[in-house]
Amino acid sequence: MGAMRLTGYADLFGVNPGKTIRFHVNCDGPKKYKAEIVKMINGDTNPRGPGLVEKPIRAACNGEYDGRKQAIHSGSYGYVEDKPHLHLDSFTMQCWIWPTTPKTHPKYWRHGAQGLMGKWCNGKGYGLFLNEAGCIELRVNDEKISTGAPVRDHAWHFIAATYDGKTGEAVLYHEPQIAYALDPAIPPVKKKLGVAIDNPKGVPFTVACYAGKLDKGALAKSSKPAGIVMGGHYNGKIDSPRLCRTALSRQDIETMKLGAQPGLTERRHCGPTGDLAKVIVGSWDFADGIDTIIGRDHGPYLYDLQIVNCPTRAMTGHNFSGHNFDWKHAPKEYGAIHFHDDDIDDARWDVDFEWQVPENQPSAYYAAKLTTKEGDEDYIPFWVVPEVGKATAKIAMMVPTISYMAYANEHLANNAGGAELLVYRVPIMQDQNMFLSEHREYGGSIYDTHTDGSGICLSSRLRPILSIRPKYDHFLMQAPWQYPADLHLICWLETMGYKYDCITDEDVTYDGLARLEQYNVIITGSHPEHNSGPQLDALHNYTQRGGRLMYMGADAWYWIHSYHPAYDHLGRGIVTEMRRCESGIRTWRADPGEYYHQGTGELGGMWRYRGRYLHSVAGTGMSSEGFDISSYYSRTEESNDPRVAWAFDGIGYDEKLGNFGFVGGGAAGTELDIVDTMLGSPPHTLVVATSAGRHTEAYLLVMEDYGFSQQGIDGTQHPRVRSDIAYHETPNGGACFAFSSIAFCGSLPWNNCQNNISKLVGNVLNRFMKDGPLPPPPASAIKHRGRADYEPATNKVAK
Amino acid sequence: MIPIPRKGTPERARLIAEHKACIESMKGVAGCTILRCATPGDTTEVSGGIHEDLLLNRVLIRMRTAMPKNGKGKLVVICTEPDKSWRIGRLSGVRGVPPTFVGDKIYDNEQDPQHDIFVMRLDEMTETDGMPEHFHEGWKRRDDNWTVT
Repeated sequence: MGAMRLTGYADLFGVNPGKTIRFHVNCDGPKKYKAEIVKMINGDTNPRGPGLVEKPIRAACNGEYDGRKQAIHSGSYGYVEDKPHLHLDSFTMQCWIWPTTPKTHPKYWRHGAQGLMGKWCNGKGYGLFLNEAGCIELRVNDEKISTGAPVRDHAWHFIAATYDGKTGEAVLYHEPQIAYALDPAIPPVKKKLGVAIDNPKGVPFTVACYAGKLDKGALAKSSKPAGIVMGGHYNGKIDSPRLCRTALSRQDIETMKLGAQPGLTERRHCGPTGDLAKVIVGSWDFADGIDTIIGRDHGPYLYDLQIVNCPTRAMTGHNFSGHNFDWKHAPKEYGAIHFHDDDIDDARWDVDFEWQVPENQPSAYYAAKLTTKEGDEDYIPFWVVPEVGKATAKIAMMVPTISYMAYANEHLANNAGGAELLVYRVPIMQDQNMFLSEHREYGGSIYDTHTDGSGICLSSRLRPILSIRPKYDHFLMQAPWQYPADLHLICWLETMGYKYDCITDEDVTYDGLARLEQYNVIITGSHPEHNSGPQLDALHNYTQRGGRLMYMGADAWYWIHSYHPAYDHLGRGIVTEMRRCESGIRTWRADPGEYYHQGTGELGGMWRYRGRYLHSVAGTGMSSEGFDISSYYSRTEESNDPRVAWAFDGIGYDEKLGNFGFVGGGAAGTELDIVDTMLGSPPHTLVVATSAGRHTEAYLLVMEDYGFSQQGIDGTQHPRVRSDIAYHETPNGGACFAFSSIAFCGSLPWNNCQNNISKLVGNVLNRFMKDGPLPPPPASAIKHRGRADYEPATNKVAK
Repeated sequence: MIPIPRKGTPERARLIAEHKACIESMKGVAGCTILRCATPGDTTEVSGGIHEDLLLNRVLIRMRTAMPKNGKGKLVVICTEPDKSWRIGRLSGVRGVPPTFVGDKIYDNEQDPQHDIFVMRLDEMTETDGMPEHFHEGWKRRDDNWTVT
């Protein structure tokens, strides 16, 4: 088994012809590696199929490169570069904390003391810590005092420490917000240390870590600030850190909880009282600038913290009252940042090589294929995307890059023992999973929990993403998923000779309708589950204006995503955010009050709960999921309706549609969509084929479709556990065809694309890609239809 | 809860035989479930297994739900070479610590390890697994490993 010594990422997902894409490579061991640009056609190595198909591309960057190791410095924190006012003889540090892993397993990947706040490095300086035993610890140089009382995890604690340089006395306070009946009292700890603080030069003031070492080595260049490698990354929330330059009394500490209070006309100081204003060094308010990566200092020196690796903000603070769930309406109750030791916003690796894409380079799925003589291999996928106004085809494949990011580096098979219940068998792990289980610094997916157990709601594309790779079978299906599954569709398009452009979710999010209206038909990926609002707006505008949409999968238009605006300076779509809120298929669940995005302030969760039903986009919406095996479809009488009968030219009425495939063995499988006119399917939608009654017990109704826990929701029993292939017309000669199963595309390449699923999709695509509006439906089809109150006969036609 | 069938009982022998038959029929499917394909490797028609043997169905679900009581992590399958070789492993349960291999057996297909893990779990689980005599503090603290990623 390979150790994955070769990993990399590009600075772009989509690159325009004529522009340059840069590649960042970690080659940990081999002296040389070879880079070749390849066009990706099929990524599934299933021996029953065509196997891996890639075409070498002549590119100026093809060649051999020197290998070098590059490291990811994950873990979020805040820092202020060293300043004279941070060099203290006496101090008071105080903050609220809500620790999630105060004690860790000795083998835990970052076992050890965690830094809370301070300016401390290698036995010099001052700092507040959580020590290995999970107790609050004050360090003055290499002197340590601790309360000896382990902090309760997932609970708020007020902590403070003072040191008087003149008397040499230190006092440490640990005051839990909640005291249970049998909790011992935690008195303040006083101790005479009698040392002069050795303020280290060049060491930043840090929150949620400590300065581990100042390092001039190459691997430390990707840390931030470069050359200073942080240690002791803290897991949990920190709220309202304060730093004063004297040892305050307990009463003054209490007053100092109010923090700096600037802004009143009659006030001539930064508050909270005249005396305290004289001693404030920093008073940070994380409620200010929630949508930024700055931790604002309201004190007199404006020592704003640079926040690194994008911790989770818009988190409830120690004073959350439960009356407002939107941080924009009650910012003072959202003064907490939740830091994690595996947060990662940017690997910050050096560039190893770049490719200026030729002006005439066709749009397609590409990858930089990296190999070594020793047998190492990695692929860095990207897409060549025409600029707006320079479309080269009538067909556009909308590459679901937000969904790829949501699944990026997922760990579900690694340590989620319960995942077996979902897949109804024992998960199979691949090299990528094994590597990630050890290398937590590569970060997780939005399906995972952080190493502290809290949900991951942010994902960056500036890191190696080992799940967006060919030859990668996902544990959910023992088959391709997302990127490699979408290559099944690409393989079919290529085999059938269609000319297509690739556009990404990023392009549609930033360019809107301008991206889509260049094409006669938009084809989706197999599982475009994660979407931005502007993207859905663009799709609606497109289909309403006569555009044609082929929805090639299922469980789409499901989760609300937004790109974090604080990363716009690095490019488009760097970090995507999502919150798993009140319902939906959730591998973790947001805590109360933490439903709003930190980046855009919009309500997160399912589009359905923002009043934007998923069924409204392409006609069908998710109803069930199961991950053991797939099944097939039968045509319904509605498939004979002249509005849609053309789609079945050459396909017998009684044929089993898609009882074959590379995802679960059939076209109807994994996650399944149905028509529901009460949830946004247009009332004139035709169900042309269905897999009703053919699914196993592993398939379960989605939880948003029922109100209480109940029996009878599996594929052997519930009528909504099925996939409906559906068609409906949109105004101005547009239309949507929804194939409604994630496994569907896995049937396209079967038997060298000679099969009835291929035939059906070909019939639809050939009609949808033609110039001009689609032929109008028969006049008899124009009629009033209800949503719930339709008459069954209204939607049916005779054979 | 339904007791886990003990060694030497006809129920246990029946479950193992049915499970094996299902797994054999799933070879070649890009997926897997404990059902019998009427045509091996083809999911068009499936029957038996978890749909018709209630005890097999319940025991399998309990195995998937339970954390092993022996202090070890859950068993997984590890693909050591795509489409060619697989081994059985055990999850560490500690973030940053990868799974370790269990035994030396190398499989040439992805379905057979499913069956061996089923038999290993029958051996590892006690008849009364999950019943009050097994209570420990972890019951109060979500130690069921769902969902720890």
